[in-house]
Amino acid sequence: MRAILTLAVKSAWARRLTLGVTLCAIALASALLFAVERVRHDARQSFTQAVSGVDLVVGARSGSVQLMLHAVFRAGSATHNIRWESFAALATHPVVDWAVPLVLGDSHRGFPVLGTTPDYFRHFHYSDRRPLVFAAGQAFADVFEAVLGSAVAAELRLEVGDRITLTHGMTEAGPGHDDKPFTVVGILAPTGTPVDRGVHVNLESISAIHLDWVAGAPLPGLAIPAEFVKKFDLQPKEITAFLVGLKNRADVFRLQRHINGYRGEPLMAVMPGVALDELWQTLGMIEQTLLAMSALVVVIGLAGLLATMLASLNERRRELAILRALGASPRELFLLLTAEGLLITTLGVAFGLGLLAVGTFFFAPLLQAHFGIILQWRLFAPNEWLLLAAILATGLVASLIPGWRAWRMSLADGLTPRN
Amino acid sequence: MNKLLFALLAVIYLGQPVHAAPYPEIKWEALVPKGWDPTRDLKNLNLGTLQDSDPRAIEALEKLKALWDNAPAEPAHHGKKIRLAGYVLPLERDKAGKVTEFLLVPYFGACIHTPPPPANQIIHARSAKPLAGVKMMEALWVHGTLTVQRGETTWGVAGYRLTVDKIAPYELPQTKK
Amino acid sequence: MIALADLLYRWPGQAAACLDIPRLEIAAGERVFLHGPSGGGKSTLLGLLGGVAVPERGSIELLGSDITRLSGHSRDRFRADHIGFIFQQFNLLPWLSALDNALLPCTFSARRLARAGNAREAATRLLTHLDLAADAWHKPAGELSVGQQQRVAAARALIGRPEILIADEPTSALDAPRQQIFIDLLLAEAKAEGAALLFVSHDERLAAHFDRKIALCDINRAGTVEP
Repeated sequence: MRAILTLAVKSAWARRLTLGVTLCAIALASALLFAVERVRHDARQSFTQAVSGVDLVVGARSGSVQLMLHAVFRAGSATHNIRWESFAALATHPVVDWAVPLVLGDSHRGFPVLGTTPDYFRHFHYSDRRPLVFAAGQAFADVFEAVLGSAVAAELRLEVGDRITLTHGMTEAGPGHDDKPFTVVGILAPTGTPVDRGVHVNLESISAIHLDWVAGAPLPGLAIPAEFVKKFDLQPKEITAFLVGLKNRADVFRLQRHINGYRGEPLMAVMPGVALDELWQTLGMIEQTLLAMSALVVVIGLAGLLATMLASLNERRRELAILRALGASPRELFLLLTAEGLLITTLGVAFGLGLLAVGTFFFAPLLQAHFGIILQWRLFAPNEWLLLAAILATGLVASLIPGWRAWRMSLADGLTPRN
Repeated sequence: MNKLLFALLAVIYLGQPVHAAPYPEIKWEALVPKGWDPTRDLKNLNLGTLQDSDPRAIEALEKLKALWDNAPAEPAHHGKKIRLAGYVLPLERDKAGKVTEFLLVPYFGACIHTPPPPANQIIHARSAKPLAGVKMMEALWVHGTLTVQRGETTWGVAGYRLTVDKIAPYELPQTKK
Repeated sequence: MIALADLLYRWPGQAAACLDIPRLEIAAGERVFLHGPSGGGKSTLLGLLGGVAVPERGSIELLGSDITRLSGHSRDRFRADHIGFIFQQFNLLPWLSALDNALLPCTFSARRLARAGNAREAATRLLTHLDLAADAWHKPAGELSVGQQQRVAAARALIGRPEILIADEPTSALDAPRQQIFIDLLLAEAKAEGAALLFVSHDERLAAHFDRKIALCDINRAGTVEP
């Protein structure tokens, strides 16, 4: 039997051009299927794990998903800001336990800057009630102090005590706030959420860097040096959104209704879990369709393998007869062909996984920056083992057909095929 | 073969009481204390004759809302094991996507679009064991222990909490023809 | 060495028998020329002798064992261990070297490997005897000429000293001058190894130098031509 398998490998190598093309097809198809499944799974997990223990996210009236994406995942942009007075009034509502304001809009080297209060570090939780923990330093206390997420510190090699400057807008090419540098006072431990990619400063700092700006651009000739900013009133007039935690979680509906109907300005209060569940229900159909299509592509790839092997069988009748004369049984020839098909399938999937790893390496940062989706580095998740087994099983079934054909041919031909 | 069938039936029938007895079913109405009637003050108003924009109608509505928001809980239910069917709003999920905390409400759509239920018709439920396959606004039977929280509000008892032991899918009972 | 008795073979679905041979005996070391037209049942007979087909009736005794009583797997083993085949053409796996082709039976049969001793030496010795130049040994078999391929096929059939050699029209693809040369080489090697040789051909002119000449139509009572 070993002799047969060695010959099988050599025979396949002799036909490596056609088999190679089929192998590439299977590799690409597998990579696609695994990529779709992985993004689907990790996106869902990224979103559900990004925030915990927050009862409502409040912002200007827009889409609930858009608000969540911007306020929690720091992706996209807000259509409109909300006034500080609205926040102040609602924060004192009797059912509210805590409220943390958020200001977004600036960035540092592509990482979003979040203006907030020190309460953020106390109240913000993620992934099943995990609190934010400092790996180094502490929360900001003064203007021009910054707390970095773990990914920011790691990628830019920053430590407590370093100085950074912020940029207006989300791209690195925006106008800079170079005259007002920040000092890093704290670095957070990794969370696996968008927090890792954030630069956290206090609200007053955001106001301070925009003191001498109007409508998104610095006023020439009106530069206010950093040391004078404290003479001005740094209370923000507008914020992007705020997070709310309640004393009693069952009160969420009444507060939500109150905020939605707030007469001060058009506001919207979103329950994070509900908004995300609604999103997934809508996406559910798309997810299933994408998965089905990717599965179909894999089937097509395997069909290609089947076609190639069946076509080659006719040329290989003599080869099979020679093996028969040497002592191979029809069963061994069946196993030979089946093993070859399974070998190509397995190699194809292996290459596909390699492609996936390369793709993940290049696209993961993009996905995280633009959509807040964090792709995890792992060999196989439990749901992916099932996919792998399904692909290999299908490849096996496909390989049984040329195997069976070879078995039949060898019985019919004996030692002298008629070609 | 007959023996096997008999044994199977015995297990099913004997299993049932053990299943149901410790968790007596409770209806949503029972969560409302007897004698609480939020419309009591409004009975003198002839609501049918008022326009929607009439200030008296608006004031009445505001009053009703306030009363609903502060609807008291029935303290007699504290510590009881119950079985209740309702709609689920997930609040927290663990890493595997299983629900660990949720709100239970009596009707579908107790969300942004329709008026929320009174405070004594919303249950804040927690499960020590993460629950799989729970979707938003899904109808479920929930088995667990009810507690009545004392709140810091001026209106006294603030709400129901439930420690979930297990859940089961809800099916509409067959209507008799 | 080979003893057929009362052999009857009928193609599936055919009413008339293809082979009906009451008796055929070939002694050990005997070199026999079997004359038969192309088609006409000789391929079937070789298939039966090789154990890939089973007769409807009768016995096929090879080396004292009746292979018709063996299981399919055992017949395959027997064939690997005791019989070397040479076909008319396309004998070799084109993507293996000439030497590796010649060595193939040693990978399929432990017995032949043992009897060959040092397999590589045995293969190169055979190839040299069969007049194949050394520079051709490591070429892929597909690149050799037909004449060279037939010689490699002969070496492959001979390696490991099987007791029975069966050659089915091995010279038909060769041009006339080389045919006799090939036959003489084959006969010499068969004699040297002490193997029984059954050489089947439609060309009677090649029958000289064999120990015995038989016509298939003489021993086969079924006279029909194969479909």
